[in-house]
Amino acid sequence: MSMKHAVHSGASSAADPQGSRTPTASTSQMPIMPPHPPSHIPAPSSRFYQPYFSHAEIEFLSEKQRGKQSATQEERNRQSACTFLEAIGARIGFPRRTIATAQAIYHRFHLFYPAKNPQKDFDTTLAALYVSAKENDTLKKPRELLAAAYTIRRPEAAAKSKNPMGDIDLDTMNPQEVENDRQKLLTVERLMLETMCFNFAARMPFPYVIKIGKKMNASKKCIKFAWRIAIDSFRTLLPLIYPPHTLAVGCIYVAALLLSYDKPEGPEKDADGNWSESVIARRLSTHSGDWQREYRTKVSDCEDIAHTVLDLFIQFTQIQSTNASPSTPSSPSPNLPIREKHNLHALQLQHPFKPDQLIQIKITLRERESENHPVRKRKRVKASAERSTQYSNENIGQNEGTVRFMFFPPGAIAITEKKAS
Amino acid sequence: MDPFEVRMQFIDILKRLNASQQSIQKLVGFAVKNFPGCGEDIWDCVLEEVQKVSINSRINILYFLDSLCETCLMIKSHTRSERTKEANANGLYMQFVSRDLNKVIEHVVPEGRQGMPNLISTKQILENWRNKRYLEPQRIDQVLAFLDARPKPSISEEAEPSTKSLSKNEVNKRIEQDRERHKRLREGRWVQPTSRNPASVQAGQLASFYPLDTAEELPVDIEFENEWETTSDWNDDDQEAIDEEDHLAFPSSASEDEGEADFAPSKRMRTDSQ
Repeated sequence: MSMKHAVHSGASSAADPQGSRTPTASTSQMPIMPPHPPSHIPAPSSRFYQPYFSHAEIEFLSEKQRGKQSATQEERNRQSACTFLEAIGARIGFPRRTIATAQAIYHRFHLFYPAKNPQKDFDTTLAALYVSAKENDTLKKPRELLAAAYTIRRPEAAAKSKNPMGDIDLDTMNPQEVENDRQKLLTVERLMLETMCFNFAARMPFPYVIKIGKKMNASKKCIKFAWRIAIDSFRTLLPLIYPPHTLAVGCIYVAALLLSYDKPEGPEKDADGNWSESVIARRLSTHSGDWQREYRTKVSDCEDIAHTVLDLFIQFTQIQSTNASPSTPSSPSPNLPIREKHNLHALQLQHPFKPDQLIQIKITLRERESENHPVRKRKRVKASAERSTQYSNENIGQNEGTVRFMFFPPGAIAITEKKAS
Repeated sequence: MDPFEVRMQFIDILKRLNASQQSIQKLVGFAVKNFPGCGEDIWDCVLEEVQKVSINSRINILYFLDSLCETCLMIKSHTRSERTKEANANGLYMQFVSRDLNKVIEHVVPEGRQGMPNLISTKQILENWRNKRYLEPQRIDQVLAFLDARPKPSISEEAEPSTKSLSKNEVNKRIEQDRERHKRLREGRWVQPTSRNPASVQAGQLASFYPLDTAEELPVDIEFENEWETTSDWNDDDQEAIDEEDHLAFPSSASEDEGEADFAPSKRMRTDSQ
């Protein structure tokens, strides 16, 4: 299969996602076909892109990949990888969409391939970032990504660097090691593109946070907080479960909830004519009004997002209260000058929420859910073991014959064909 | 070297400034190296030259200032010793750029037809400075407003005297230079200010945990502030887009969904899988 061909055909897909175009080597490159295909070449097959998963599917797939690891270890690896992506992103100056897309690609990949310890191996994190950078028009070459990764992982070597930015000069490193890492990155990239079915059309929640926030007349402070929560939501699997506009509404809900919780009820509108946070939180937790239809989002979506985000916050408040060791990515590099380290340390200890508060909010949410209605989950196409095993990695390295990578699940053709007519 | 010699050498290199990166970096390097003691003198030279040279050379000077700002800010973020930290606290040449920005822009984009070749590039550079926080957004807004407030030159204006108009050769050369520089600008446009000072970002910290009401803008919020201004309001395209995404995420028909009203009964299509 020609990779370049596949990527190219991916780009022109929008009008004809289910066409008979096959992203394989074109017939003009192949020798004349024998009358009967040799029996060891498998029959042509199709793989369908599944843009979103249900909780059940995610649990099913994750468990398969977890192997002997505990769920806690899996979560720790996930957070470590996300932190590493944040660190490289900050160093290179990637915009938020590139970092977030990379995190989502990473999560998706590890539903189908087991995760190694990201402290030791960073091939998958870098490959995810490389794919994301291409997708988001913020291209960086593999060597540049490797240079940033080495700089972060080897602060002693970085400290010796003559580069004004403190970046490691690749020429000072063992060329074989760099080349090996580069090859690994490109190999993983290919597998990663297959798990995405070469579909580069990911939309992000960030613009929706602003658009919907403004439309709802939420305050800028609330929207800013919601944006930050959206950033953090990419440390969870929420972007694989909910479409970006729903995730955006959910983040606005959490922001409003946290800003208004346990605060005295003030005026409904502020000086700028924006609704107060408690009004917003109330609106997004009841069925009245048109907002669910308007934003294609349900109360149960918001509640689910809230619980997941609160769980993440609780997890992080507990990490920070136990002192982190210098080797974890969350503490400042030992090579920073003393005064900067002190400032960062002061920032680090500041977390606005106590675990007890957050747990209390969760309990309140659950109580309200059971009072008003049983937790309503939205219906999905039924999760089936067969669908999920479409992505089995059992055939790595084997000739799979012709594989058609389809951009949408079967049945999704309806809405796009309607548009074309 | 004494200030007089520094001036002479600087002007010498400045006169040979062209659109190439090499030429720009040479001038930036000299300026930065000689900032201690001769910063004001060098800045004086810049202001003098930008008034004298051709229109093409003036945009070259602005691109030089672009690189100069980037370098100054990088140096400011990365100074290690306490003593030089104090010396660099004003961002080396940044204080002069900020103080004299209006003057510089007035000369790079003079009023009337003669300034038109430089207008678009100048605006692009200023937008870039704004997004990357080389200067305060309000400062940049002032200058942009000043440019926008000018009367647009009419087509019927008399052609300028020959010393100021460009020959065909120069025009072609300028087109090539612009093409290269726009390409470079486009490639670097997405780079966030965090790259100047990655240590200021706490990678292991949740974004939501930073304080919300701070006097200074936090690095984590810079992109938000930029997007706040540029993101368009909710419109029909957004409505269509979320319809599509919602359908992809939740393709089942809503009538099974515990009796709640369907989102858009007329628009929803039943899919084959039902």
